[in-house]
Amino acid sequence: MAMTKSRRRRITALVRYAVLSVWGVIAFFPIYWIVSTSFKLDTQWFAWPPYYFPSPPTFANYMNVWFGAEEYAQTQYAISSQKPLISLYNSTVIATTSTFLSVLFGSIIAYGVSRYRILSEVRMFQLLVLRMIPPIVIVAPLSLYYTAIGLIDTRLGLILVYFLTTLPYAVWMTKSFIDEVPREIEQAAEILGASRWRTVFEIVLPLIRSGLVATFLFILILTWSEYLLALIITKTQVTTLPIELSKYQGSTEGRVYGRQAALAVGITVPLMIVGLIIRRHLARGFSFGMVRR
Amino acid sequence: MARIELCNLEKSFGAVKAVKNLSFTIEDGEFVVFVGPSGCGKTTTLRMIAGFEDPSAGEIRIDGRVVNDLEPRDRGLGMVFQSHALFPHKNVAQNIEFGLRMKSVPQADRVKRVREVADMVRISHLLEKMPNQCSGGEAQRVALARTLVTNPSTFLLDEPLSSLDAKLRRELRAECDRLHQTLKRTFIYVTHDQEEAMTLADRIVVMRSGEIVQVGSPMEIYSNPANYFVADFFGSPSMNLVAGEVVQNGTSTRFRSSWFDFALPERFKAATPGTATLGIRPEHVQVHVGTKGDIELPVRLVEPLGKDTLLYFDASNDRAFVAVTEGLGMADIKVGERVALSLDQHLTHLFDTEGRRVNTA
Repeated sequence: MAMTKSRRRRITALVRYAVLSVWGVIAFFPIYWIVSTSFKLDTQWFAWPPYYFPSPPTFANYMNVWFGAEEYAQTQYAISSQKPLISLYNSTVIATTSTFLSVLFGSIIAYGVSRYRILSEVRMFQLLVLRMIPPIVIVAPLSLYYTAIGLIDTRLGLILVYFLTTLPYAVWMTKSFIDEVPREIEQAAEILGASRWRTVFEIVLPLIRSGLVATFLFILILTWSEYLLALIITKTQVTTLPIELSKYQGSTEGRVYGRQAALAVGITVPLMIVGLIIRRHLARGFSFGMVRR
Repeated sequence: MARIELCNLEKSFGAVKAVKNLSFTIEDGEFVVFVGPSGCGKTTTLRMIAGFEDPSAGEIRIDGRVVNDLEPRDRGLGMVFQSHALFPHKNVAQNIEFGLRMKSVPQADRVKRVREVADMVRISHLLEKMPNQCSGGEAQRVALARTLVTNPSTFLLDEPLSSLDAKLRRELRAECDRLHQTLKRTFIYVTHDQEEAMTLADRIVVMRSGEIVQVGSPMEIYSNPANYFVADFFGSPSMNLVAGEVVQNGTSTRFRSSWFDFALPERFKAATPGTATLGIRPEHVQVHVGTKGDIELPVRLVEPLGKDTLLYFDASNDRAFVAVTEGLGMADIKVGERVALSLDQHLTHLFDTEGRRVNTA
C-alpha cells in the first residue's frame, strides 16, 4: 500500500528528530557530566557503575575550590587557598579591559576603513593574516621582550597582548556593521548641521550598537578562555582562570575531578550570564543585516 | 536668497570624467531640473553643490561666495535623498527635529516648528511612528519635512520620487510643486524621468556624458530639441525619428527613406543634401481612414489608453512609427490594416548626421 503524503511527512519528521536527539545527547552529555560531577561527593567521581545523578548533591567541591573553606580544606583533596578567586579577579580585569580596548580602537579603525579607506583591501587582509600566525610562534620572543621591559607576569602585559591580538577581529567585525549603515544617512545628518563627531555618536553608534555588543562578547570569550599566552607570559604573580583550571590536571594532587568540574562550571557561568544579559543584541548583531534602509 | 553659479565645474573619478567643464547659473527662487540618462553626471553635479564631492576643477558660488571649501553643513542647503535616508533609530518627530537640535534651537521652538512642517506636508499623524512603520510615500514626506524644518535657502532633491509607485509619484510631484510655490526657494531637482522634468521645472538642464546638452523651459525643450538625443529623450511616447536622406530635387527639397518620401517644408529649403533624420512627434501625425495621406503603413499594435489611443505602425526599421489619436475612435482598427498618415509640416524636425538640429531658415 502506498504511503500517504501526510504519513510520509510524519515519518520523515520522526527520523529527523531521532537523529537530532542522538546528536543532542552526544553534544550535551559532556557538559552535563561536568555539571553533575561538580556536585558529586569524592567517592562518586570514579565510581563504577557511574552515578549519573549526584546523590546526595553537595556543594563541597565549590566551597573548597572557590572559598577554600576550612572544613573542606582539611580533606585529602583540598588544594586551595582562595587562589581561584584571585584568578577570577585577574581574569575579569584582564579580559574586560583588553576586550573593551579592542572594540574601542577596532571600531575607530573600522570607521576609518569603511568611510575614508585608511586601509586598502590588501592591508585589511594583512591585518587578518597577522592573526593567522599561531600564538606559540610569537610567545617566546614576546616573553623575552616582556622580561626586558618588566611586563612579564603583570596584568598590564597580558592586557596589552590580548588587546593587540584581538584587534584584527574587532576591526573586521565592526567594519562589517559600519558598512551596513548607508552613507546617505550620515550625509543627511551632515547637511542638517551635524559635525562629524556628532554624526558618529548620534547616528552611527546607535545603529551599530548591536554589532558592537556582539563583537564585544565574541572577543570577551576569546580573551576569557585564552590559555597559551597566559601560561607563558604570566607565571606566578598573575594567573587567570584557564591557568588555574589546568593546575588540577595531572597535578600532584591526582585526579580531583569534582574540584576541577566545580572550577570549570565557575569559569563558564560568568560568560553565560553576560550572554544572557545581552541576548537581545546578539540575535540582531550576529544576523549582520541589521540596519533597515 | 540663493543664486548658485557653477563655473567650469569638473569632476573625475580616476580616469572617468563624470562632469566636464560645466558652467551654469541657477537664479534665486528658480526650479531647475537636471535630467538625463543614468551616468550623465547629474547626481555628481548635485553632490558637488551639496558639498559631498569635491570638484576636480572649477568653482561653485552661492550668492557670489565661493563655497568649494565649505563643509556641507555650512552651505545653508537642504537635501532630500533618493533613499529617504531617515534615521532608522529615531521616530518621525525626532527625525524632523534633528536639524533644529544641531542648530541649538530651544526645545519649545523645536516642538512648534516640527508641528508646523508636519502640517505643511500632511504627516502630523505620523510623528510618533518609526521610519520603518512608514510607507515609501510617507517616508519621503518625512524626509521633505526634515529638510524643510531647517529653512534652507536651496533644496537639493536627488531623484526623490524614483522609489515610489506611479500614483504616489504624481501625488508627491504636485507636493514638490506646491512647496516651491509657497516657499519661493531655489529648487534643484535631479531625475532621469523626463515627465517629472517637464511638469516641475522652470528650466530644464539636459545632461549627457557629463555635459550640458540643452537648457531651456519645458516647452522649448519639447518643441525645439537641440539635437537627436533631446528629441528622443523627451516625450512619451517619444518622437518618431526616421533615418533617410535629404534630396534637392529642382526647386523642392525632399526627405527620402526606404519606405517614405516626404516634401520638406519651405524652412528646410537650405538643408544640405545627404544623410539625415526626420523627426515628428506622435501627436503631430494625423491618421486618416480611407483617404490618402503622406504615407501608408500597416498597423502593428493598437493601445487604447482611454483619453487617447496609440497606434504603432510597421516601418521598415526596427522602431515602430507611432501616432496618437484622441479618444477611442481608432481603438477598433485591426492589426495589419493599412492606414494613411499625414505629417504636420510645421512641426517636423530635421537632424543632420551628427544629430544636430538643422536650423530653420
